[in-house]
Amino acid sequence: MSQRHSQSARSPPRTPQHQLRSNNNSFASNSSGSTYRVEEDAVIFELGARWLRAGFEGESEPKCIVGFGPEESRRAGDYRGYLKGTAAAEDIPIRPAKPEDWAKPYELWKMDLRDIDLGLVEDKIERAVRETYNKYLLADAGVARLVLVLPSVIPHPLLSSVLTTLFNRWRFPSITLLTSATMATTAAGLRSALVVDIGWAETVVTGVYEYREVATKRTTRAMKSLIQETGRLITRISTGEPQPDDAILVDFEYCEEVASRFLWCKPSRHLDEAMAGVAGRTVSIPSPSDPGSSYLDIPFSNLTEPVEKVLFAESIAESELDDEEKPISGVVYNTLLNLPPDVRGICMSRIVFIGGGSKIAGVRRRVLNEVAYLVEQYGWSPVRGKVIDRQIQKLRNLRLSRQHPPTPSETQEQTASGSASETGYETADEPETEIDPIEQKLQRGREKDVVRPVQGILREIETLGAWAGASLLTSLKVRGHVEIEREKYLQHGLAGASREWDHNHRDVKDSNLHSQLPDRRSGLRSGGDRSSWTLAGWG
Amino acid sequence: MSRPFPYTYISCPCANTPAPDPFRKRKSRESPQKASPEKPRLEPQLDDDEDEQTFDPRAPRSNFSLYPPEQLLYCEDCHQIKCPRCITEEIVCWYCPNCLFETPSSMVRSEGNRCARNCFNCPACTAPLSVTTAENRGGEQSDPWVLSCGYCMWTTLDIGIMFDKPTNIRTQLSKLTTEPATPPSRTRQISKTFGDLKSPLSMYSSIDEQIPPAGEGRPGNEDAAEHPQNTSIPRTYDARFAALKNFYKDQIASTTASGVDPGDFGAPFSSPNTLHRIMSIYTATRITALYGTGSKKARNKPPVMREALSASEGLSIPKADSETALIQRMASDDCGWDGLASLEQRTFQSPDARFVEDLLPLPSLLRTKRSKRCKTCKHILVKPEFKPSSTRYRIRLIALSYVPLTTLRPLILPPNTSAPLPSLSSSAAPNLDALPPQKPVQLLLTLKNHMFDPVRITLATSSVTPGRVASKVTILCPQFDIGANSDVWDEALQSATAPDRSSRTSPYEKVAEAGKVWDRGRNWTTVVLEVVPGSLPGFKAPTTTEDESDDEDNDDNIRAGLDWSGQSKDPGQQVQPDEDVLEIPVLVRMEWDSDSQTESEQGISSGGRGLGGDAGSMKRELAYWMALGVGRIVSA
Repeated sequence: MSQRHSQSARSPPRTPQHQLRSNNNSFASNSSGSTYRVEEDAVIFELGARWLRAGFEGESEPKCIVGFGPEESRRAGDYRGYLKGTAAAEDIPIRPAKPEDWAKPYELWKMDLRDIDLGLVEDKIERAVRETYNKYLLADAGVARLVLVLPSVIPHPLLSSVLTTLFNRWRFPSITLLTSATMATTAAGLRSALVVDIGWAETVVTGVYEYREVATKRTTRAMKSLIQETGRLITRISTGEPQPDDAILVDFEYCEEVASRFLWCKPSRHLDEAMAGVAGRTVSIPSPSDPGSSYLDIPFSNLTEPVEKVLFAESIAESELDDEEKPISGVVYNTLLNLPPDVRGICMSRIVFIGGGSKIAGVRRRVLNEVAYLVEQYGWSPVRGKVIDRQIQKLRNLRLSRQHPPTPSETQEQTASGSASETGYETADEPETEIDPIEQKLQRGREKDVVRPVQGILREIETLGAWAGASLLTSLKVRGHVEIEREKYLQHGLAGASREWDHNHRDVKDSNLHSQLPDRRSGLRSGGDRSSWTLAGWG
Repeated sequence: MSRPFPYTYISCPCANTPAPDPFRKRKSRESPQKASPEKPRLEPQLDDDEDEQTFDPRAPRSNFSLYPPEQLLYCEDCHQIKCPRCITEEIVCWYCPNCLFETPSSMVRSEGNRCARNCFNCPACTAPLSVTTAENRGGEQSDPWVLSCGYCMWTTLDIGIMFDKPTNIRTQLSKLTTEPATPPSRTRQISKTFGDLKSPLSMYSSIDEQIPPAGEGRPGNEDAAEHPQNTSIPRTYDARFAALKNFYKDQIASTTASGVDPGDFGAPFSSPNTLHRIMSIYTATRITALYGTGSKKARNKPPVMREALSASEGLSIPKADSETALIQRMASDDCGWDGLASLEQRTFQSPDARFVEDLLPLPSLLRTKRSKRCKTCKHILVKPEFKPSSTRYRIRLIALSYVPLTTLRPLILPPNTSAPLPSLSSSAAPNLDALPPQKPVQLLLTLKNHMFDPVRITLATSSVTPGRVASKVTILCPQFDIGANSDVWDEALQSATAPDRSSRTSPYEKVAEAGKVWDRGRNWTTVVLEVVPGSLPGFKAPTTTEDESDDEDNDDNIRAGLDWSGQSKDPGQQVQPDEDVLEIPVLVRMEWDSDSQTESEQGISSGGRGLGGDAGSMKRELAYWMALGVGRIVSA
């Protein structure tokens, strides 16, 4: 099969020993060269601002998840991390810290590179990768090729740092880059999806259509501010009053622990009875000052406040919000709105949540409920305001006067479709009104062999995560579009990437071209030109 | 830092030679004026005046280049110190740290890098688990068996798992956990459906047959999602992954097999069904012209990879109330803080594990023995014995047999000494964990040579330590020789003729003098280091209490005091963690003539000979930065 061909063609050049050997060795002669070049399973790394996930292709979950915290940046031979929980560690007072400085030691990078020492980032990556290989992967570093799952937007200096570190430190024959959103889609078994990545620094909502990223919106409402808000909440509870300068008086790791265990989110704005009962309970968390022995009782409802305040911008008027701090549900809605209607119909019923924030119980349901509310309220229209409301009201009155009075639910539907008609949107459930012979013909053809995909309804699909997607894809021997070879990178670095993706911009997934085949899409690239490589979406 | 004071760290020289980034270089060459002002990293400057730059042990990057001397290696061919960053490693053997069984390399991956026998770690506290019987029937050992933790008393009974026999626990456990049900009846069903899962799908050859008509497909799918008892749903994470993988494999197989030229599953893979169809309707001629006529027929009806439609294909639609149930469980009384798994516990568990009850015992992670090579010249630096139980090494070139071993200790002066510095006359040894600021401390720095050649050492340090807490450092004798690590017998013979050095130079009679070595022995030399710890920010310099005659000190005090009084209101100016640690960067430069037997032999065998003459005598030099941790300064 062709996959095999590409495999053997792609394996690193070696001294052709078997030719020599075949002369004097009886059993070597009948074995083909490929048996000598058993390609090692590729290693897959998913690199984010907080964690590194690493493992082998074809496995369902990463072998390890390594953080980039202060413990990981200690000197060799500095074992203070192991004092945690002992009497010696408790002597060290926790100093009040500004939320920004408080969280800073725990992140590998920020997208704002102005005050980032890239050398330090390289050091951290080098150490994390080395320890990952030595402790968890238990394989020789740099032998197998590397697949790197990265967010689809990453500053070039940062990307360059990552690649340079990996290529210079180890002898990786090649590094393949894959985008996390597309991989999450793959790992959900889908071709199109709306991927909501509630990450560390920002929440990124990406519309993926047929494995291509077609729309992206982001907001700063994400886990970093959530942990900071949790820190403020616990500081407030334990000291009784808010600190000056927003200072946080509790340990970061403690806060993250509380956040990961107990933060929750009301599935909808208005609680039903069962939920209201739950919210009335109290839970006890270890006291921040003395986590070993004493406990602190807090109402369970308090633990939903940070989530709602940070992720959903509760109790803040929408007009107050800046463009980069829209609530997650708003961003999901806006991203869907930006998509062409047919893509929107497909994507809205394939909403996939990834990232740390998606693990908070209730967040997904809340996002879906709020988006549903927004759709119900405004339809698919970006236009808001009193005048518009009045106009809609007028239109409705007109219709009401003409037709027989519809039921309230119908009214709303009409509002939705009435305003949505401006964008030309038709919900998929609605019957076709116009009779178009060509459309009919197509329709017939379509119905014959294709199941109509679920569309037009809000639906969530679970994914196994971006790492698992990359593992899946790599184990199927699908080659990524962005495959950076060692020698070429070391010659020119990122600048060596060709810009041809401009003409045939496509995503990594669908471009599993084989090197021996000319590029079918452009029709221009000949076989001789395959030495060039591209950064595709990262370029 | 966490090490007890005083300590020494060596900065591997590789930190000064950053990996060249082709991209960055090129960029700066293309637009130098644009790149330089916003250049975020310090390294380009470091490159330019590397020699003048004082190493700052407190810089965040230093943590990655500083190593305890005993962790460093030395390459005899590059004549350079090698830290874990400048070596490459090759695995010699894999073994379980618990049972010390070696795992053959072919088995390591299939066993998931973990011990395949009975070694397990507690999921709650990571202590090793032991196999015990569930019920203690008067010392009689019988089934069922459980794994139990001797530290936190966790047992597999907590998660409802028991084993039939005390051996092969790993296999038993994986059988119990991969099939996602506790009742055995369901287990059987599951395995059957897994068998079914593959066969019917693999029969499909094209999309036309493969997909059930619209009416059937969807309700069935929803049905399955609503009734998990249908058991066609892979419920564990692994099972879902396997289902997805099977699904994709079948898709690729079916899309490739049905007529398109092999090797081109790229195109149908990528394009949407409808779009492709329309394309082929309107541009059929053009496409055939472009792509050749051979695949014309196939082009008209290209099979397209579809998305997973049912749960058995790996699609998973969460139930609407799943999160509500989760919240209710979190808030319930019998869960609480301890019922929820911590971040650390969840690290190696399935991503879905949230409660302590979801945690499974972890088979012990294997460890490796690795041989180490120099990254630049590929020579082996460390090669351990293959046997896991052996602690011997075949080759081990540790840095301490080449660079001098450095030790630091406070100089204790007797109470009735006539020391010239009255401030130093405190009789007891200074408490290194609480050094008073602005009070001079004298330290003895001993360098012990392990090479068979005498070494000439030059120590250099900046007079004031870098950072905000500026301590003054003076090395009283920065240049000295250390004798060769000759036979101990030689020294014994020498001491027979000459009076014993160390007894003669009793510290009680001596005074630290500038330019003079404090003490020396066969292969070691001690010099005196005088340190005046700086004041911490926010600390008012006690200028009045200081000795007036010491002018320089006073100036420093005043400067330091002024510096911090202006900024002390800013919370950022408070003492940062570890800022009060007094660490002295010292540049050690050693020169020696390598004319000893072993050294020259090494040189000849590797062919890496310097400018030396015929007798194998050549000048070698090695320079590295060292961080001496003296102590912690107290604020007042």
